[in-house]
Amino acid sequence: MNKINSIYIVDDDPITVFGIRKILNSIVECASIETFKNGKLAIEAIKTVVENSSEIPDIIFLDINMPIMDGWQFMAEFIKLPIVKKIRINIITSSIDATDYENWEIFRNKTHHVVDYIHKPAKRSEIEKSTIPA
Amino acid sequence: MLNSTKSYVRDYLVKQLPSATAFINTNFEVIQASDKWIDSFDFSAPDVFGATLFELFGGVSKKWLTELSNCFEGKPGGLYIHTSTNSMGAETHIQWKNLPWYDENENIIGAILHTEDVTQSVVNEEKLEKLDAFLQEKSEKAKIGSWESPINGEIWWDEMTRKIHGASADYIPTIDTIFSFYKEGKSKQKILNAVKMAHENGQAWSERLQITTPNGKEKWVISAGKPLYKNNKIIGLIGTFQDVTKRVLLDAKTKASEKLLKTLINHLPINVYLKDINSKKILVNKNEVEFCGFKNEKEVIGKDDYHFLDKVSAEICIEEDQYVIKNAKPILGKENIIVDRSGKATTFLTSKIPMLDDHGNVDGLVGFSLDISDLKAKEEELRTLINITALQNKKLVDFAHIISHNLRSHAANFSMLLEFLITEKSDSEKKKITEMLVSASDGLLETLNNLNEVVAISTNIKTEKTPVHLKKVVNKICGSLKYLIQENNATIINEINENLKVNVIPEYLDNIIANFITNGVKYKSPFRDPIIKLSTSKEKQSIVLTIEDNGIGIDLKKHGDKLFGMYKTFHNNEDAKGIGLFFTKKQIEAMNGKVTVNSKVAIGTTFKIYFNE
Repeated sequence: MNKINSIYIVDDDPITVFGIRKILNSIVECASIETFKNGKLAIEAIKTVVENSSEIPDIIFLDINMPIMDGWQFMAEFIKLPIVKKIRINIITSSIDATDYENWEIFRNKTHHVVDYIHKPAKRSEIEKSTIPA
Repeated sequence: MLNSTKSYVRDYLVKQLPSATAFINTNFEVIQASDKWIDSFDFSAPDVFGATLFELFGGVSKKWLTELSNCFEGKPGGLYIHTSTNSMGAETHIQWKNLPWYDENENIIGAILHTEDVTQSVVNEEKLEKLDAFLQEKSEKAKIGSWESPINGEIWWDEMTRKIHGASADYIPTIDTIFSFYKEGKSKQKILNAVKMAHENGQAWSERLQITTPNGKEKWVISAGKPLYKNNKIIGLIGTFQDVTKRVLLDAKTKASEKLLKTLINHLPINVYLKDINSKKILVNKNEVEFCGFKNEKEVIGKDDYHFLDKVSAEICIEEDQYVIKNAKPILGKENIIVDRSGKATTFLTSKIPMLDDHGNVDGLVGFSLDISDLKAKEEELRTLINITALQNKKLVDFAHIISHNLRSHAANFSMLLEFLITEKSDSEKKKITEMLVSASDGLLETLNNLNEVVAISTNIKTEKTPVHLKKVVNKICGSLKYLIQENNATIINEINENLKVNVIPEYLDNIIANFITNGVKYKSPFRDPIIKLSTSKEKQSIVLTIEDNGIGIDLKKHGDKLFGMYKTFHNNEDAKGIGLFFTKKQIEAMNGKVTVNSKVAIGTTFKIYFNE
């Protein structure tokens, strides 16, 4: 079983969070899976760990439509952070809006991190692929 | 020479002869001559006698010499006219007659020369000939004939008169037959009357009449005549006869084409006008006359646009005219809004084309103006319709996105949970999944309800608006929110004009005001009690309701475009669903209004609702 130190799930929908967690539990060994209800809470947490030089998550599951700070606003802040390590960010969404695809294209070309795009409902196989660290 | 001495004695008999006569001997010497003969050649009396004709006339023509020789042989010569130029340079015509001169014994002793100055009669004759030729020419060219009808005598027609009548060469015009040429009715009556009046009152006439020639050809003629007098008594009539058929037919043709042209331009569905170089109208069609506010074109002709249009419009038109006239260049398909003196505006599509005279100089312009006001109105209508359609289309797309996103996320959850449920072994986990399925189902139902609401608002555009007292509505809403307001220690300041009424869908207005007040209270600053002020103003065509709070505010740079979006929340507020402002905006728009927002973080937010009257 794949071993991962830290995974963040950023989504305001408890059912999605439950689902991702359930799948993750069955396919990876992870010391820490943290959940954030919106982008703002997540980015603040990451900023703190960067400042404290503590564990930066290896994989982030990121929803797009969230209150206060959505997925794209989170991405804009995140790629500005001085993180050398390649992080895998899985955008996980039910959106079929063309602008979301465009945003994804923009961000994946802008950063050295791996940015993936997964449609809800997330399949076990897809989650499996998306847990291979970048 | 015989009786030579005697012959030099002037014979007084001869001297006084009333005709110019000279006697010469066979040596051509002048023996006797009348004073008249001497004077007529400017000779002096004593020198003439004994001088030869050769000496006197500086030579004698061959013809004359032969004549004289014939005379000496007893053969008298004929009359002939000698033309010469006198000392004054004028032409003189002398008629000569040479006769043999016999003595008592019938012996020819010389010749008698008779001369007569016929200059005057020759000139007269020439003149007459010329006049005759002129007359002939004139008559031929102008097809004008002459005639004379003496009271006692035969009627005389000249060639042309005869030709115009189509009369044969042997036709003899008589007072009984000449009137039969005239067409029965008007023409015959007129000519009979004219002739009668000429005889009775000495009245001259000139009438345009119709005749029919013997071979049935119809002609238009002008018959003119007047009485001829002698000793104050009418002795007959003279006159002219002119064929004007071509002219009359041409006139008729011109008139017909003029009429056709007039009918054409009068019935064209555009305004047509001709203007002179001073922009004065010289020809207008019916449409233009009506546009100018008149019934008769006479009331329009000779006037410029200042008489018919508002000053500014007249200036525009005349400026155009002068451009066309000065530059000899047309203006084509120009769109103008023209205001007449009554203030009515018409949109015209106008073309103005310069008119050139024979020398290529501009002497006016011809203008065409097509009233496109209706077209313009339709275009405007269409544009509005397109805008509405575009807006509706955008709303539809937005709605499709909302549906797809919100329904898809629920569907995804169902699908995921069901998959878990199928494979799950643990009962407690199964129970947990089932609970989640129930919550997913509730979420889906709520979403569907919201979408229903959106559809209702969007399709309820036609709902009748009724005027309501805005201030009273606000007071009513504040009453129903009493507990929320009291709990939060909020102050509502209602500064709305007492009598102001707005045209709204009442349920929507209730919801809108309740929503803004609730938001103002809910998103209060942690450092002060909420104060919400409502006031109204007028902007252009709209009544504006301003709702101002002193709450936490919102960063519009970050969230401005999503503020009124569906399921958008911006604060860590547990019961925020992101649906209130979304519905509020939809309802305002359904009433043809709009809403704007102004906000400063930690200071407060101001919403402005525009009620489109």
